[in-house]
Amino acid sequence: MIMTIVRKFTAIFLALSLCLTTVACGGGNQTNSSAKNVNQISTTNLSDGEYQIQQATYDDATGEYNLFLLNNKPPTFATENLQMARLTDDEIKQGKKTYLKVEKGQPILYLTEDFKLEYVHNVTENKTNPQTGQQETVVVRRENSFWAPFAGSVAGSLAGQALGSLLFRPQYYVPPVYQSGQGLSGFGGYGTSYGQAVQNYQTFYNAPPAAVTNRTAFRNTGTIRRSYPGNSTVPNTPRSTIGNNRPSGSGFGSSTLQPSGKSSTTRRNSGSGFGSGRSTAPRRSSSFGRRRR
Amino acid sequence: MRDTFNKMIGRTRYVVFRLFLHLGGGEVAPILGVLNSAGRDAIDVDGDLEVLGEGLVEISQTLLQYDEYWLSAANEGDVFWDEGEAGDYVNELFTDSAERYLSEPNYSSDSGSNEPLSIPVTRNVIVMITVAYEGEVPELETDLSNVQALKEGLKALINLHYKHRLKAIQVHFSPAQLGDELTSDQLLQYYPELIPL
Repeated sequence: MIMTIVRKFTAIFLALSLCLTTVACGGGNQTNSSAKNVNQISTTNLSDGEYQIQQATYDDATGEYNLFLLNNKPPTFATENLQMARLTDDEIKQGKKTYLKVEKGQPILYLTEDFKLEYVHNVTENKTNPQTGQQETVVVRRENSFWAPFAGSVAGSLAGQALGSLLFRPQYYVPPVYQSGQGLSGFGGYGTSYGQAVQNYQTFYNAPPAAVTNRTAFRNTGTIRRSYPGNSTVPNTPRSTIGNNRPSGSGFGSSTLQPSGKSSTTRRNSGSGFGSGRSTAPRRSSSFGRRRR
Repeated sequence: MRDTFNKMIGRTRYVVFRLFLHLGGGEVAPILGVLNSAGRDAIDVDGDLEVLGEGLVEISQTLLQYDEYWLSAANEGDVFWDEGEAGDYVNELFTDSAERYLSEPNYSSDSGSNEPLSIPVTRNVIVMITVAYEGEVPELETDLSNVQALKEGLKALINLHYKHRLKAIQVHFSPAQLGDELTSDQLLQYYPELIPL
């Protein structure tokens, strides 16, 4: 009787472990080093629990928080996905200080009212790259400042009673507009998701926050800029496209996805592609996006 | 298998999607106006994704209204579990789309003396839309080479904007403006993936 149960259990256990190892191997080829991956790893690396904070930095180029943890290895922790909440007065009375809590992999920063995050402001300029002729956003210098998200007076006056109690609940916050030579206090937007916080900021300031604009990569090609109504002369004659049979065209696009920065563009074959794939002969189920013939 | 595993551990799913839509007929040229104005708006705000999204909605809406003129289409895309890879692919697709047309035509000072009174009106317009979004949209992640699927797809694109899930938006079109032409031969040569609807 017991033997049969043990036998069954062994079979199921073996099957399960086989499944697990397969999955683990399948995921292996993805762990190429890239800045992005490092973040993700550090997010998952920090196990649930509470951590004391030495210092916190916010970078408005990437929207990334960099936290220095006391008595922890590794001592730094970087994430974009950070919720914040104010410590309640009771907790402060009990002598609690600013701390980081990781709950089910989600980092939440509990702040005292006067805690200041270091704020790194990136002064950017649009420059034309002399080699490609394309417009690029370049960081020309960085300025340091402070950001106190829950500095009492501002939070009170700006938000009133209703929001007052919300402050104790973990939410996403976006810093207010940067002013040179002045510390920041209060917040520009808040929400239960980062997207919502950004939206909240946008309704208030009518422009996306710095972290979002700095992340946005805008490209455009073609004649759109030239055919701008103010620019008057739109040649109506058919172009003499000497030596090139291509039709004319224009394009524009912007992306908030951070490119990986890897040099090679190896496409993995994961069977995830979709599309109307026509005529490319033996298409593996995975790869798509056809090469020109 | 890996899909479910990634979903289980709570990774974000990124999808990069590209659609080619070819419209043909005598009355398709007005679309170029919509496309160009969306482009100008985008340049004015330096590519604010929100504004581009509104442009995308307008373009999709216009394309839906011109459904009688749809002649051929194609789509492609891939699913990523890593933001970096998705971002790379979006960039790659921009370059690939831009390569299919001549973006800097020869502007010798040809306007002036012998300007004709009439301009040729193109009978073909091709629109290439690329988006990247978070999550899963079954209407887009399929074969869109039939009219019904395509309609659903364009509607799904519009909805994506209002759900604030778009992470990247690109629009390319050819010809660039009224007065330029896109011939059927050029279509065959530079857009071999198109499938007749």
